[in-house]
Amino acid sequence: MPAIPHFRDGCSRREALHRMGAGFGSLALSSLLAEESAAKGPLAVRQPHFPPKAKRVIMLFMFGGPSHIDTFDPKPILNRDSGKPLPFAKPRIISFPRRGGNLIGSPFEFKRHGQSGAEVSELFPHVAGIVDELAIVRSMHCTNPRHGGAVLEWHTGSDTFIRPAMGSWLTYGLGSENQNVPGYITICQALAEGGANNFGSAFLPAAHQGTPLGYGNVKAVDAQFPFIGDASRTSLQRLELDMLSDISRRQLDRSGPDSELESRIATFELAFRMQTEAPEIQRIDGESETTKKLYGLDDPVTEDFGRQCLMARRFSESGVRFVQCNSNGWDHHFDLKNLLTQMCAKVDKPIAGLIRDLRSRGLLDETLVIWGGEFGRTPTAENANGRDHNPHGFTMWMAGGGVKPGITFGQTDEYGYYGIENKVHFHDLHATILHLMGLDHTKLTFRHAGRDFRLTDVHGEIIRGLLA
Amino acid sequence: MALRAALRLAAAFVVALPIPCLAQGSELFEKRVRPILANRCFACHGPHAGEGQAGLRLDSLDGMLRGGRSGPAIVPGHASRSLLIHAINHDTSLQMPPKAKLSIAEVVALTRWVDEGAYWPDASRSATKLPQAPAAEGGFSEAERSHWAFQPVRDPKAPAGGPTAIDAFILSRLEAKGLEPAPKADKRTLIRRATMDLHGLLPTPTQVRDFVEDESPAAFERVVDRLLASPRYGERWGRHWLDVARYADSNGMDDNIVHGDAWRYRDYVVRAFNQDKPYDRFITEQLAGDVVTDWGAENRSEGLIATGFLMLGPKMVGEDDPVKQKLDFADEQLATTSRAFLALSVDCARCHDHKFDPIRSSDYYSMLGMFTSTKTVLTYRVTSKLNATALAGPDEDRRLSEIERRFDYHSDFVTNYNRATTPQLVVDAQREALEDALEEYFEIPKAMAVAEGDVEDLPVMIRGSHLTPGALAPRRFPAILAGETQPPIGRQSSGRRELAAWLTRAGHPLTARVMANRIWKWHVGEGIVRTTDNFGTLGDRPDHPELLDWLATRFAEDQWSIKSLHRRIMLSSAYQRSFSPNGPASEIDPENRLLWRAHRQRMDAEAIRDTLLEVSGELDPSMGGKTLRHRNFTNLNANALSRDPSLYETRRRSVYLPVLRSALFEVLAAFDFASPSTSNGRRGSTMVAPQALFMMNSRLVEEASRQLAERLANEAGDEDPRRIQLAYEIAYSRPADEKEADSWKAFLDRYESASGDRKAAWRGLCRVLLSSNEFLYLQ
Repeated sequence: MPAIPHFRDGCSRREALHRMGAGFGSLALSSLLAEESAAKGPLAVRQPHFPPKAKRVIMLFMFGGPSHIDTFDPKPILNRDSGKPLPFAKPRIISFPRRGGNLIGSPFEFKRHGQSGAEVSELFPHVAGIVDELAIVRSMHCTNPRHGGAVLEWHTGSDTFIRPAMGSWLTYGLGSENQNVPGYITICQALAEGGANNFGSAFLPAAHQGTPLGYGNVKAVDAQFPFIGDASRTSLQRLELDMLSDISRRQLDRSGPDSELESRIATFELAFRMQTEAPEIQRIDGESETTKKLYGLDDPVTEDFGRQCLMARRFSESGVRFVQCNSNGWDHHFDLKNLLTQMCAKVDKPIAGLIRDLRSRGLLDETLVIWGGEFGRTPTAENANGRDHNPHGFTMWMAGGGVKPGITFGQTDEYGYYGIENKVHFHDLHATILHLMGLDHTKLTFRHAGRDFRLTDVHGEIIRGLLA
Repeated sequence: MALRAALRLAAAFVVALPIPCLAQGSELFEKRVRPILANRCFACHGPHAGEGQAGLRLDSLDGMLRGGRSGPAIVPGHASRSLLIHAINHDTSLQMPPKAKLSIAEVVALTRWVDEGAYWPDASRSATKLPQAPAAEGGFSEAERSHWAFQPVRDPKAPAGGPTAIDAFILSRLEAKGLEPAPKADKRTLIRRATMDLHGLLPTPTQVRDFVEDESPAAFERVVDRLLASPRYGERWGRHWLDVARYADSNGMDDNIVHGDAWRYRDYVVRAFNQDKPYDRFITEQLAGDVVTDWGAENRSEGLIATGFLMLGPKMVGEDDPVKQKLDFADEQLATTSRAFLALSVDCARCHDHKFDPIRSSDYYSMLGMFTSTKTVLTYRVTSKLNATALAGPDEDRRLSEIERRFDYHSDFVTNYNRATTPQLVVDAQREALEDALEEYFEIPKAMAVAEGDVEDLPVMIRGSHLTPGALAPRRFPAILAGETQPPIGRQSSGRRELAAWLTRAGHPLTARVMANRIWKWHVGEGIVRTTDNFGTLGDRPDHPELLDWLATRFAEDQWSIKSLHRRIMLSSAYQRSFSPNGPASEIDPENRLLWRAHRQRMDAEAIRDTLLEVSGELDPSMGGKTLRHRNFTNLNANALSRDPSLYETRRRSVYLPVLRSALFEVLAAFDFASPSTSNGRRGSTMVAPQALFMMNSRLVEEASRQLAERLANEAGDEDPRRIQLAYEIAYSRPADEKEADSWKAFLDRYESASGDRKAAWRGLCRVLLSSNEFLYLQ
């Protein structure tokens, strides 16, 4: 396997093949397999920089900014001072200054769970049951207080420019283990706030962009890959592909060997298999009733996100490098008590089911699961009964491959406004995720527009305290 | 606990209670400041830390004032302008101490200490004296000054030999290497290449036949002139420029807000190419068409619309900090302008001097001031509204401004009011007023155009943050190109007018070279400088520097006529060579740097769609006009409007399809359409399985196959051989040979027996032809 190449943008397929020493000559069409490995091109499996702890990532993205102080970061002092003014200065920049109010305590009860004794609120009873698997980071922070900026910052590391998504960097760095299914899949991701930029490859080769399986307005059960053919046409399509290969060979007989055109025909063979296999992996009919129940597929409240999580396990199991499940609707500017309760009910059981299922299949050790949104929420009230955006201190958690289980890491101040101890910026978590995947975030670079770019730009520090 | 005490202290500050015990500067310093510095900072920036991390020492006032790599740490008397204070507040990207924020009381103490003048015992120098801005003028190294792209354009004499001057330059280098050029392409290949090149379409069978039968030596020249005179030319070449202008019909950064009037700029570009608008005027109109009136009042609209170039960029409209928003928008304008016309990344010098090119941070802010002095939006705030100018004339524009002022006010109110305390009646009244203002607004024909704003010179912003301003950088051009002494740009102009004049003045080292190289690349497939958008030190060197200079000189000499440059290039033998990848020179020059053969090019995304419509007889040739039905301010992210397939239900040429950032039309996205978020003169050409899936399963290919099959039946009658011949002439511009015809007949029979449907077999045949390499790759 070649080491990670540092492709320059615009490098043609031909140059790339040439550089990889893949001259095929006239043998090519007679040995389809060799060609196909070339047709994989940018997605061929590549060696990491050092032995990885995790091979694949499943990201559970809670779009909108779930409140940390009502879920994983209890604040007794905040409850005590509920109704009083915030006793220190608010940040220089806040999103809705005209709607701000005094401190507002959490209406939810927290308890300690598991051997680790981590505190989880009553909103996540199932996740509380697997809390010993989690490394809960209470001191996350990012830069941008608006959804668009913060969502892009999480996905791409930048809230100022359009940059490749983390999943794109991972397939760029590591390739894809299964060529018959996309290497980076995002299920039902919202198109709001940055839209496809959140799973786009920007200046990386287009093969690394995330493949959307449905969008935010589509139910998981209806989600489909783009341009997947009708199974009833398969035999006719076979005739067409054979003829395509036939006339291509005839053209090559006239012009002489030509690796570029030969590889193009190989992409049709790849596509032919992809359209059979990818929907097959997506299909969950074959899963046992017990498994379906574990993910909450028997309950209309949890069915949708449960299906996403179960599909994610199946994709991940079959070698997809980065899968993202998306829960949309965590932006609680008002009526937080009811709305947050509803959102947690949708995802709690599926998330716990996913972790348990990965554990029981022996997959959790090589799969990195990440939970969180683009920011947390303020301890002060907005519109009387909601909370505003808060990028200064919030919670995310990780579980699985290479993560130290059963810990809480870092802390926010006594009201939950600012991270104050062991602060972890998105850049730091990105660096840590790449590290777990066997990649040095300072070395995974791509030259574009006159300089080398990386996911963490000039930032990022591996958070050793989160490593097993 | 200490934290609680700190919070009480901080609370005291918030309500501005005096704290008597800390009244004296020395006491504040000794009791509070020195312990904080010693305990929290000195490990990395103290007496035992050598130079200090990042070159910063905090154990003396001198060290603080001299600062580190990011500039001075404090400005005594001005906490809000002091990097140290922003760093300890963790409110910029520089956050100190990095992992554990100081307590609120500690932050308050340091802030107050700086605000009160930064008292430091034993400091011999005045603590309030500002450090001098580094005198970095001059002093470019020899290597920086001698970079090829900054040298004057020469007018080299073509060597002897060669049918054209272009060929003479190329042949002399091939001869020196002992290489033979590939033979001339056959006529069918040539007309196919030229038609795709200038129109993005295929020649009709009749056009092919006419050309093949025209044996005069001027036959190809006549083809070129015919193609250049057709409006299809502007649709193809205008689209190339739209890549450079990162054209889009929506914002696409965070909120995907509709650019409801962008189409006027798109049509302006198509028109400019069709009219062969001189390139110097094309530049001037795009950068300063609102203020340059050289072409008379009747060109007012054209000039205004052209400045859409500066308006079109992706903008993070959800930015709460209005100053950062203004700088970010201007940064995007500067990045696009410098990349498009100079092929330089001036924007890399926002946070520090450019790492590779001799562009200083002061050069960046000197140019940035031109754009911050330009009015781009109505008010810098979250979901800021783009500026517009009425086309009917200044009176109408005054009316438009009044309407804009109203809706800007009301829209701010309805976005930000407090839902808990604002009476519903008030909200309803505001909403109604907003609706009224918008209705009036939409009735006025207008251009998305910049205007002159409040003229200002910017300070250099240390680490790119406006919270840490440094020395003033008066508006001017990069010193490496324009020299150290430049006439000042006055208060009455943003500087855009001067910028356009500077770019288009005779002898500018980059303007003509950059565009001549772009044009060469779009014709030939690779630029003479392969990195068309980067002529800096990390870019490629020109493969034929003399040829590039010769072309640049002719381009300016021909009154910047792009069509003249097309003719010069296309009539050269170099353009007309065959592809022949396995020729003898392939061993020595496999990348074809010396241009011994033609480059093969895959049809680009638009050409694929347009050609599929063309061969199936369905292409609608109507030109121009508004094609995205949504109006300004609509957020296409809402309700998945951006994924509404009806947006693309048209058979017009692809250049007229809406370009939605972050939700590109899947047909274009599948085949390497340029990202419309950054200026791009060089598209990729990838080869991946999803493209094959598109050919196998997309509706577009399905429809095109069906229509082409019907067309064959209609035009060639019932006989298979005649239909197959016609199919080849349409798709491949050549007849099918006997063996090919036989194998297709066998295919039709196999397919018919498998499907029970002869018509389906013909559709299958058409799909295979339209998916094939010979169709999609221009030899």
